[in-house]
Amino acid sequence: MEPVFYELTKLAQNDEYTTYEMFFGPNHPGMHGNFGYVIDAVGATVVKVRVNAGLLHRGFEKLMETKQWFQNLSLIPRICVPDPDPNEVAYCTAVERICGIEIPERAKYIRSMTLEMSRMTSLLMGMGALGAMMGLYSAMYRMMTDRDFVLDMFEWLTGARIYHIYNVPGGVRRDLPDGFTDKLSGVLDTLEYNLKEWDNLVFENPVVHKRLTGIGRITSEEAIRYGIVGPNLRATGYLVDVRRDDPYAAYPYLDFDTPVTEGGDALARAVQCRKEYELSINIVRQIIKKLPKSKEYRADTGNALKFRVPPGDTYAKVESSKGEYGYYIVSDGGLKPYRVSVRGPSLPAGLALCHKHLPGMDISDVAIWMASFAVCPPDIDR
Amino acid sequence: MTNRDMAKVIAKGWPDAESIPRYQNQIEIVCGNPDSIAGLLHYLQSVGFDHMSNLTCVDWLEENRFDVTYNLWSYKYDLQATVKAGIDRDEPEIPTAMDVWPQAQAYEQEIHEMFGVEFIGNPDLSPLFLHNWKDIPPLRKDFDTEAYSVKAFGAVRNKE
Repeated sequence: MEPVFYELTKLAQNDEYTTYEMFFGPNHPGMHGNFGYVIDAVGATVVKVRVNAGLLHRGFEKLMETKQWFQNLSLIPRICVPDPDPNEVAYCTAVERICGIEIPERAKYIRSMTLEMSRMTSLLMGMGALGAMMGLYSAMYRMMTDRDFVLDMFEWLTGARIYHIYNVPGGVRRDLPDGFTDKLSGVLDTLEYNLKEWDNLVFENPVVHKRLTGIGRITSEEAIRYGIVGPNLRATGYLVDVRRDDPYAAYPYLDFDTPVTEGGDALARAVQCRKEYELSINIVRQIIKKLPKSKEYRADTGNALKFRVPPGDTYAKVESSKGEYGYYIVSDGGLKPYRVSVRGPSLPAGLALCHKHLPGMDISDVAIWMASFAVCPPDIDR
Repeated sequence: MTNRDMAKVIAKGWPDAESIPRYQNQIEIVCGNPDSIAGLLHYLQSVGFDHMSNLTCVDWLEENRFDVTYNLWSYKYDLQATVKAGIDRDEPEIPTAMDVWPQAQAYEQEIHEMFGVEFIGNPDLSPLFLHNWKDIPPLRKDFDTEAYSVKAFGAVRNKE
């Protein structure tokens, strides 16, 4: 897209300082995480964008090759900060698939429950962040409060608030505590009640509608070519869902209709996030109702320090709050993985689509573009 | 369509590649000629594999080979394909997949940096994550992380 030239910039066209360089991140209120774009701008319009990644690079993929299969479990949730559980489940699913381990029914349900709870925390954070990008900080603060209710449940269940390390190959680490599901039902009621407030504050707010309409519009075909997944693809009206198409955990036994939204712009993506959040609440309710009574929550995998995976490779994926999260795992039959490759959902948007979308955009819209595509730097620099 | 049917279709349509059905819905496709990888990916896209999930590389040090691996997904048939193209480790070169999936540019840039694989036709293979990197590409199997940290940061070696 051609940049828009203002009258003053027209006068200054021969000036060598017409185009200036601006660091958008890592130290910028509109940037979540240690990541940045170096923007060439004319006036307030972006002309060219370069990616400034690597500020967060922790060499996880290399580190995983030097640790044992079970030791890696403490590393993988750290790849995505707001939504850690899909990492654990994708890794465990891949390992179980190569080993041919069938996990107990109860473990499948508990896994799905942690995944949906994790989705809720991440969606609340994402929707709140989108509000914050528009200067609507009250959305951010209030939604973080709701997120804390779910994190409290996680703390009770796993002992940790953010990095749970709860799913292990063969099932889950421990059974649900007594009274957990009752308390969780109460939390879900609170969250659903608060949803009305979010509607008033964000989703039905005319200012938000005006601000978000038309930013980062994308069609289904283009989104598929660029590898955009999950809620961002569903916001273009194209129905895909890993939970439905390539079922894992307890999703084959659950009954749910994934919502879609027409439009493909930032507003559609925000509305889609709200629908997904509502769906997650419903799925957790279903799981609580259908949870098997048996007390078996973990298949026997033997001594964790002597755990070996037969030679082979597979790609396992999980629907996270940002879309498809995948682990490609190669084993040579040893005590450690031979290669682990992580597919983060934000890499295609954050590194590839930005070159197409950002030029021509206002600098003030860049933060909204990033938040609406849920670009999360930790899974780019992994 | 099951993965067995799809494997038959691919074996007929692209005889150069060997396709093996595995697990429930996965197909492993071994590309016979890495120079024709762009054509193979184009063909796979036309039979329904419209989404590229992941592009990665596996270093097989003992066999002196890099496996450039494409993980594809078919939204139409719900099938997963793992395409492997084995290239010589001494002269790692392979055509780019950018024309099929534009997002491949970023993945190839990363693999070039981490494994040293040249992607012919990719316009931007500049460093993405590492700054002023002078050693061999770090995700190769012969890269010694401990020796590097001793050399670069003066770390003390672990006693055996």
